[in-house]
Amino acid sequence: MIARRGPRRSGERLRRLLVMLPWLMERGEVPVAEMAERFELTEAELVGDLELAALCGLPPFIDEMIDVFIDEGVVFAGLPRLFTRPLRLTAPEGFALLSSGRAAMQLPGADPDGALARALGKLAAVLGDDGVVVDVPQPPATTELASAVNDNARLRVSYWSANRDEATQREITPRSIFLDRGHWYVIADDSRSGESRTFRIDRFESWERTGEVDAPADGAAAIVPPSGDQWFVDSDVPSVVLRLAPQARWAAERYPLRDELPQGDPSGSIVVRMAVANEQWLRTLLLRLGPHAVVLEPVEWHDLAADAARELLTRYEAIGS
Amino acid sequence: MVDQLERTTNLLALLLETRVPLTLDDIVNQLAGQYPTGQTALRGAFERDKGLLRDIGVPIETEVLRGTNAGQTGYRVDRDRYELRDLELTEDERRALQVAVAAARTTEAEFGIFKLGGVADTSASITANLPQLELLPSLREAIAARSTVSFSYHAAPRSLQPYALLLREGFWYVIGHDLGHDEVRTYRVDRIEGSIEQGEPAQFERPADFDPRAVFPADPKELGDGGQSATVRIDSARATFAIRELGAESVVRRLDDGGFEVEVPCSNLDAFRSWLFGWGVHAEVIGPADVRDGLVDWLRAMASRS
Repeated sequence: MIARRGPRRSGERLRRLLVMLPWLMERGEVPVAEMAERFELTEAELVGDLELAALCGLPPFIDEMIDVFIDEGVVFAGLPRLFTRPLRLTAPEGFALLSSGRAAMQLPGADPDGALARALGKLAAVLGDDGVVVDVPQPPATTELASAVNDNARLRVSYWSANRDEATQREITPRSIFLDRGHWYVIADDSRSGESRTFRIDRFESWERTGEVDAPADGAAAIVPPSGDQWFVDSDVPSVVLRLAPQARWAAERYPLRDELPQGDPSGSIVVRMAVANEQWLRTLLLRLGPHAVVLEPVEWHDLAADAARELLTRYEAIGS
Repeated sequence: MVDQLERTTNLLALLLETRVPLTLDDIVNQLAGQYPTGQTALRGAFERDKGLLRDIGVPIETEVLRGTNAGQTGYRVDRDRYELRDLELTEDERRALQVAVAAARTTEAEFGIFKLGGVADTSASITANLPQLELLPSLREAIAARSTVSFSYHAAPRSLQPYALLLREGFWYVIGHDLGHDEVRTYRVDRIEGSIEQGEPAQFERPADFDPRAVFPADPKELGDGGQSATVRIDSARATFAIRELGAESVVRRLDDGGFEVEVPCSNLDAFRSWLFGWGVHAEVIGPADVRDGLVDWLRAMASRS
């Protein structure tokens, strides 16, 4: 199937073609299925793009053509003439490679003198000395959790539950680890709930292996870490609608928003809807925002900020005054 | 008429192979029958093709010609600038980069890996969500080229000699010498308004051993003047976490019930309050009195609001 026409789609096809052709010319022949999988295309898309490429070349379009053909499910490249080298790295590609490489250097188990460090050195030499620094905290449990993911090992942990405001004891089998907004999280099978749960790694107080090893997780879908804000925004948790004065706008930048409502006013305040993973988190947020935030919805949280402030005040007033 | 992809591929081949810059007339003659005939339609189709090539990163050189075609624009692609320079990655280096890209899962990085001869890998059990911002690639290029950048921030124009990009706590910052203020300043990239203008290359030197982590304190409570600090009591329930975060050297007193009193910076009161409330009812400011009183006022104002 030849996909939709239009500049964008043509651009994507050409972009990929300019990577595929040099690769193919270096190899000479490759099964269609293998090449399609490598470049993340369906076989029909690959065949369509290559057939089109075979029509291209230099005027008068007789002998100086891109020399590729497909026979019996195998792609063949003839004499390499045009497009023998890939197109240079674009600025976004170069940045993405460097920043993901630098981030990976901060992941548990990275070797400062290893292959990745050498690869990044070579990349920086070509792209120019770049000054991209990724600074990621390493809570002490991170390394042990990462190795438990590899081994399917079960851990006995003490975890600070923000919702209950107390440490909880449980056994978990870590399945994957991800970094998001400056915090590390682990997705793990949780003995306490019998479900897969996401934990913040800096909230583990203690951890040790039980000695048991669980079966590898079945179905990658269940443990694929979420990307971007979606894991939080889409989850099945309640929303709060807040009016934020300019001094409190940082909250809208720091936490994922479900949406911004068109009820801001000229003084610079905005109205946003945010996901609330648990009430304790919202209490803390409201304390931080103080007079600069107001809960508009739902009604049952109208007094949450005042309650939270009173709860803390009892501690101060009991001793001091 | 031919498919746009076919025509654009032919155009690219032509511009790569030509030894002299080609005018639009030359191009239309060479690619006989591939462009529409009307002048407006022809111009539009050529601009689209050119835009498509530039979008995917093809460096198209243009120059105003002399001689027989005086005044016309000539086009060509410089092969040296077009082609990927060989990084000479070893197999294990390529694989390591591939794993790193898999951990960050950005499509741009995956394409970069394709170009370097690797494959997209989606099996990573450790991943990092890095904020993607449109301005980052051009800021990085400006840093590499030592070009001054100009942009608008909080509605004010700024001129910066950019030294580094730093990702911290989920935000990207650009750090450099601010020409207007004549000092090193830090700007959050997602707060830059609109686009960035990049000046000529090689306009400045970055100080030797410049480390953005040192310029930009990791602890926001230390921002601000005075180096003031406060004494905070932390209950035993959260003592482990507090000591882990603050270090044993912050402890000024151990309490009989397993709690601690710690000394923490509070020059930046907003950041201090934010940090303090994160401990909920398990932390209490003991002194100095003005900090404690300020906090109680803050809470009383909130408590009386409902």
